[in-house]
Amino acid sequence: MKVRGLLWRRLPLRTRVIGAFTLGAAIAALVLVVITYGLSRQSMLQQREESSQRQFFANARQVQSSLRAENPDLTQLLESLPSLSGSRSIVRTGDETWVSLSLTPSDVPTPLITSVLELPEAKTMRYRLDDKPVLAFGLQLRPSTASTFNEVAYFEVVPLTEVENTLESLALILLVGGALTVLVGVGIGLWASGGLLRPLTDISNAATSIAHGRFDTRLDEVKDPDLDALVTSFNEMAAAMETRITRDARFSSDVSHELRSPLMTLRASIDVMQHRREELSERTQQALDLLNDEVLRFENLVQDLLDLSRSDSGPMENDLVNIEELVKATLALSDGRIELEIANSAQGGLVMGDKRRLAQVLDNLLRNAEKYGNGATRILVSSTGTDIEIAVEDDGPGVAPSERELIFERFTRGAAARKRGTGDGAGLGLALVDEHARRHGGSAHVEGREGQPGARFVVSLPKAGHR
Amino acid sequence: MTIKILTIEDDERIRTAVRFALEDEGWSVLEAETGEQALENFNSMNPDLVLVDIGLPGIDGFEVCRSLRRASDVPIIMVTARDDTHDVVAGLEAGADDYVSKPIAPKELSARIRALLRRVKPEDSTSAPRTVGDLEIIPEEGVVRKGGEEVHLTKTEFHLLCELSDQVGKVLSREHLLEEVWGYDYFGDGRLVDVHVRRLRTKVETDPAHPRHVVTVRGMGYKLQA
Repeated sequence: MKVRGLLWRRLPLRTRVIGAFTLGAAIAALVLVVITYGLSRQSMLQQREESSQRQFFANARQVQSSLRAENPDLTQLLESLPSLSGSRSIVRTGDETWVSLSLTPSDVPTPLITSVLELPEAKTMRYRLDDKPVLAFGLQLRPSTASTFNEVAYFEVVPLTEVENTLESLALILLVGGALTVLVGVGIGLWASGGLLRPLTDISNAATSIAHGRFDTRLDEVKDPDLDALVTSFNEMAAAMETRITRDARFSSDVSHELRSPLMTLRASIDVMQHRREELSERTQQALDLLNDEVLRFENLVQDLLDLSRSDSGPMENDLVNIEELVKATLALSDGRIELEIANSAQGGLVMGDKRRLAQVLDNLLRNAEKYGNGATRILVSSTGTDIEIAVEDDGPGVAPSERELIFERFTRGAAARKRGTGDGAGLGLALVDEHARRHGGSAHVEGREGQPGARFVVSLPKAGHR
Repeated sequence: MTIKILTIEDDERIRTAVRFALEDEGWSVLEAETGEQALENFNSMNPDLVLVDIGLPGIDGFEVCRSLRRASDVPIIMVTARDDTHDVVAGLEAGADDYVSKPIAPKELSARIRALLRRVKPEDSTSAPRTVGDLEIIPEEGVVRKGGEEVHLTKTEFHLLCELSDQVGKVLSREHLLEEVWGYDYFGDGRLVDVHVRRLRTKVETDPAHPRHVVTVRGMGYKLQA
């Protein structure tokens, strides 16, 4: 029972609703069909039996009275008796039998004859004659004592073919009706489950839309009081979430903005000092270099924070970006030690998206390789049918399998990065790679290199028109 | 004659640091603390280029851009602490020729300034006067006439139109235009081109909503046609 319950629950909701309606309709139809058929059959047979019996007694009386006459012509009498829907009569005496047309004495079953001759009361029997249903009546007759006849009995055989045909038609109609009822049940199930599931589909669509960053998605108002509660609470949840997300994004964006002004003064001042480097003592120069490095790191951090907060909320530019051009332009800015391999299938491959964000993805991967993997050795651009993959390889220490998911989280750095001690990055670069890739409908992951040390960071982006 | 650059910035420390850096480039730097002050003294200062911070107290940077634009076609670079689409596009539409985001490295700022100060190259072999439909473009004189009447364009808009008219009928990518007009590499911001094309249309098209001359080719760029 438990297993069946589980199986049932594992079916899709829609199937279950339709199934329940179908089953309900089938049971209702079956009960109705059986009861209707049974009652009709009983009442029709009973009616038939009663009318035949009345006729039988009338005929029996007539036969009885004619038997009292002298030399009755029983054959003629039998032929002249009123016949109800093809009933036939037979009179049996101890040794003689008169039969109406088309009936032979053996057509009346022996048990009926025996029981009729035993007791002076009417007997009824239903049986099949020549494979057709018939109803037979029998009655012991009492001719006058002067009569020559002994043991006289009168039988009448009434065919029930007509009743049977009617019942067959009725059964057929009931079956068809039952089948139609089941079909209607399926139909109602479909309609009801559609009606039930439509709000669920709407909610699921809205949730997907919110998950894709359209935080202003809301469900339309509905009139149904049951659904209205659901819609209202869903919309309230979405609104609360939107407020929260925009507030969080605004906060980090505001903080970054406030940091940018002092940074600008720092940057400009340092550059002015760098310009006058020769005027400084060696020790001051060293201090200036330290200052410069730290300001640079600070700038990157603020930029990454700002980009992350924008990635959470900001709209994206949508342009066709040629990945080959993007990679080449990025490489042109690096020192040229990096090997570039573009698979034939990926040449001229286009991605619909934000060029600056995609450039940042690549830039962050190169920066990451620079900081923790002894610098990128190779960039491989390939195509997998619907996606374009950009892989950045290095021959550094690689990333342990247990950390491969973790390093894409904000403010997390792998063991290799922590070992450096100097804490070059804040652990935002790869988080940005991941978020930008996802905003483009793609993904980012890291894997090992087959049979070699080092890491391969792969960003997969859907080709234009495949999103 | 030294080139004069006006910086409009309310933060004194930034103003001073930027002045030091720009003076190192050999430019003379004028300063204004507020938009009002800048607009008041603009004519007497007569700068060759204006750096305007968007987040000014009083009248903001957008309004300063608009007011300056009404009076002059001096190149304007806006300095923004917010480079989200909204602020950038609003600033460009207010009349800025280019934008930079804080914190900008002085070297990069100088490069931007130099690119804007660069005039349409007179030595360019394709700088002969040309006619495109009802437009008449004379690069040497910096003049554009539409149906015989002179149209007033800023230097950047003019530069953009000349670049497009160098290859009439050919689609030029945003990257190409960014490089030729603004001196950006591949990573320049395509929104610069989009907003300037929009502004150019309001001046050279009869119906800017249905441009006939400066046509967008979706996903590829822009072209000029007769």
